[in-house]
Amino acid sequence: MKRILTIAVAGLLLSCPVLAQPAQPDGYLQQFQTQQLAHDPVWLNLLHYDRHGSLDAPRYSSQVDDPRFFLSSDGHSDSAAELEATLRALFAPDPNGNEHAQCRFPARAAWLQEKLGLATTDLPPIECPEFAEWRGIVKAERVTLIFPSYYLNSPSSMFGHTLLRLDPADDAHSEWLSWAVNFGAEVVPGDNSIFYAFKGLTGGYPGRFNVEQYYRKIQEYNRDENRDIWEYPLNLNSTETQRMVLHLWELKEIDFDYYFFDENCSYRVMELLEVARPGLELTERFDNTAIPIDTVRGALDNGLGSGRIYRPSKASELKDRLRYIPDYLHPKVIALSRDTEEMQQDWFGALDPVIQARVIEAAYKYLRYRQVGRERDADAAKASFTLLKALRAHAEALPREDIVAPGPPDLGHGSRRLTLGLGQAEDLNYLSFGLRLSLHSLEERLYGFLQGAQINLGNLEGRLDEDGHLRVQRIDLIDIFSLSPRDGFFKPLSWKIITGLEREWIDGRERQVAHVNGGAGYATALAPGVQTFALAMARLEHNSQFAHELEPAVGLHTGLLWHFDQHTARLELAGEKFANGVSRRRLSYRHSLALNASHALSLGLERHWGDERHATRATLRYHYYYAP
Amino acid sequence: MKKLITGAVLLAAANTASAVAPGGPNCGWGNMLFSGQSGIVYHFLASTTNGTSGNATFGMTSGTNGCATDGTLTYGGKAMVSAMLDEFSEDVARGEGDALTAVAVAFGIEAEDRATFARVTHENFEVIFPTAEVTADHVIASLEGLIKADPQLAKYAV
Repeated sequence: MKRILTIAVAGLLLSCPVLAQPAQPDGYLQQFQTQQLAHDPVWLNLLHYDRHGSLDAPRYSSQVDDPRFFLSSDGHSDSAAELEATLRALFAPDPNGNEHAQCRFPARAAWLQEKLGLATTDLPPIECPEFAEWRGIVKAERVTLIFPSYYLNSPSSMFGHTLLRLDPADDAHSEWLSWAVNFGAEVVPGDNSIFYAFKGLTGGYPGRFNVEQYYRKIQEYNRDENRDIWEYPLNLNSTETQRMVLHLWELKEIDFDYYFFDENCSYRVMELLEVARPGLELTERFDNTAIPIDTVRGALDNGLGSGRIYRPSKASELKDRLRYIPDYLHPKVIALSRDTEEMQQDWFGALDPVIQARVIEAAYKYLRYRQVGRERDADAAKASFTLLKALRAHAEALPREDIVAPGPPDLGHGSRRLTLGLGQAEDLNYLSFGLRLSLHSLEERLYGFLQGAQINLGNLEGRLDEDGHLRVQRIDLIDIFSLSPRDGFFKPLSWKIITGLEREWIDGRERQVAHVNGGAGYATALAPGVQTFALAMARLEHNSQFAHELEPAVGLHTGLLWHFDQHTARLELAGEKFANGVSRRRLSYRHSLALNASHALSLGLERHWGDERHATRATLRYHYYYAP
Repeated sequence: MKKLITGAVLLAAANTASAVAPGGPNCGWGNMLFSGQSGIVYHFLASTTNGTSGNATFGMTSGTNGCATDGTLTYGGKAMVSAMLDEFSEDVARGEGDALTAVAVAFGIEAEDRATFARVTHENFEVIFPTAEVTADHVIASLEGLIKADPQLAKYAV
């Protein structure tokens, strides 16, 4: 081995400078074959290879879907051929600058140099002006994992999102000017097709990494979408960070297959962290689904970090500021945001200077909140400017409190839930069991979750009756309920969609029906932690007992939700009437007691009224929460 | 202070008079305060896939967009101030904030002088933002004038 290396190096030293002949990578090629470098986990990570087959006879295929990423024509599936091609390309003598393998694949080059004991002088000297410019701009000594919180109004963001932020070493730097590394579907400009969302979710667009300044992400999440951001500083050292940044450059404008559930933004972020710190195994556990918050937990569990920083959304900021203003002045804040002349009124002049400053600040923030997503409006701009000048004049009196952070999302209950319960339906006793793949129901432990955001994807509940019958009680494919109370400031719509299988009483028997429901309405907060709601619903049901198997229905869904300490009470009354005349009503009460982030108990009581038959059911359940 | 304000106003006036299109013909820094984000349609598209608009530059500046790049700020610095004009104006009114720090960093102002930068901009709020229709180009020119005129900040002027 030593001898081969010596010969090769000697050969290089002799041939390169004197005869100006191409450097010879052959010696190194033999070396890499004996070292099995093509199967080294670091190499596999750098090429994003998935291994198929056994460890003894592995086969590979790369998740990169872009010929520009491979130097060998078989590189997509042949890791050894790609390694050989890479090594040859690094030795290629023609100095074609930015396109040379040394410039395009600096992470591969650095790793091969390290593994083969190559000195930089062993390789032909190549100038990489583009890469050098980029490294000069993208200063990175530390890495922060960023989690923009759950966002129900967009199918791809309801589970939240993850990205990375590259920070310079300097503590006095501006995080706004740090660099955000984001993986997402690459949108074709001008593509406004209604299939956009569908294509985005199913891999219709390729996924790419992009790099932009962090303030754009703050604007996108905190302002445009009103999502809180959680930042998790990671303990990657400078060397590990450099390794990741070198690899990031290799992924510039490179297309990946993008899939919403598994090979998504969070999966790719984990891959970058694996490249940064060889030996980390972050992606293995997310072969089927990579829920963003689970990948954050995975990173923290693997010792990558421990602290977290809260960056509130514009709406959270406004709500926090309003806590310091007495309730009776809230209508005045709204009035001031609509008419700046209110500052000339007696009520304003009579206020304490501190409250004056707070009222101006809140009115300004509320006016700007209302303008998000709208074209510039000259009147709103004029009013904003007047309030801004008033804020400037009252700035000395304005107290500066830190915003109180809610429970961090990584400390919320696990995404998956196993359930075991005992129940009785009329005179029949049964054992209830269930598995939910994700994520959160309104009656569950709120800590770390968005209040009023129910997202259940893949919920299965089975039943073993005392007479030995095993049945599927219900399957919720999609069950999303966005419950947002309205008040003087915020006027959101509450809405719900749910589709799946459930059992309904028909002609004295329980039968399985398939259903799709959607509805919208209003919610209001009666007191802190207590909300009521009413939604108009539409339903389409497939039922073998109907004359027409597919029947539409309209209905009403009302309820009350009450969080107190570790308890949640959820009372609901719903009714529907089908086009064929069949009608049903349903009263349900669920009481949930969260013991901690992993364990909970719940009691469910249900009463159904059909046209001829009524049924009552009670179930006591134990829930175990975990992260995959 | 009075003199400083007058100087800055003159500078701003001169700038506005000389350049019909701020920053030069076809330059992008004419956007006004309270313009917010551009286009909710794009926003919807982007948020549907966590995606990007297809013209991401990977952190590299691509060209200068037809803008003059003389002055203290690079093209990237001007683009940045222009993009965070709303946040910056609120921070200047309050006298502190992340956008204010970001703009100070873009002007190369060291940590020990940022409090001065915050104070000077806060005191000169109406110089930097004379009307609701103020453009990013005017804001940048005013900041350059204020930096030049302040004894502690003058070292950061070109």
